[in-house]
Amino acid sequence: MLASGPAADLVSELSIDPDSSQVRPASEWLEREGHALGIPPEQIARLDICLNEVFANVLDHGGSSARSAPIGLRLARKGELDGADATLTVTDAGTAFDPLAVPPRSRPQTLAETRLGGLGLVMVRANADSLSYEYADGRNQLTIGVRWSKAQS
Amino acid sequence: MPIDISDVNDKLRRITLTGRLDVPGTEEIVIKFAEAATAGGRRVVVDMTAVSFLGSIGIRALLSNAEALQSKGGRMVLFVGSNVMVAKTLQAIGIDALIPTFADAAVAEKTALN
Repeated sequence: MLASGPAADLVSELSIDPDSSQVRPASEWLEREGHALGIPPEQIARLDICLNEVFANVLDHGGSSARSAPIGLRLARKGELDGADATLTVTDAGTAFDPLAVPPRSRPQTLAETRLGGLGLVMVRANADSLSYEYADGRNQLTIGVRWSKAQS
Repeated sequence: MPIDISDVNDKLRRITLTGRLDVPGTEEIVIKFAEAATAGGRRVVVDMTAVSFLGSIGIRALLSNAEALQSKGGRMVLFVGSNVMVAKTLQAIGIDALIPTFADAAVAEKTALN
């Protein structure tokens, strides 16, 4: 669903069941709506990686409350003179978890070190230009931002 | 998520992955991939040129198979060709330093056999 917000942002929103079967439909929604909002394919691909990792994290670690209410997705694009940015906000009813509070980990030096986990968060950080988090009304709200220059549009 | 397995010779196996290595795509092939990658302690080239999405679950499959193969005396290398998305993802999180990654197929095969 497309809407024009008060600050001339272009916005699309989706509510999906907290189930792993919904990860593909969520990605398909992101690609379709991202294209409709004029977000470059490379930036949609970065948001898609983040979406998949956050979605998996909610289902794996969010507890029973995460599966009790839909996951909300909100895609917004804002244009500026010298470029543009897009944000994807993911909200869920799972256990409060601030990914920004997790210290960045050093790169694994051996294959064995990669078993430590946390790879999903590493991928989110690697693909996002900005991250913000808040917990409000019993829901985690993680906003992932990407930016691009006018030449990339 | 198609997976194709072909033996180049008795020492080298090529595994070609196609499509999305997201949660459903990886779950679809993970057992077959592990069996193909680790059987016989061969040298293995994983062709990633047709992978359209690479998530952490797919990377974990690559890492666990590379480690299992290494423990059997084998070696895994990745061939990414001109797949910029996959190459960037591997590079951004340092996986290319753990599993040798190449844009050139011949170099990938040669390295796997060395």
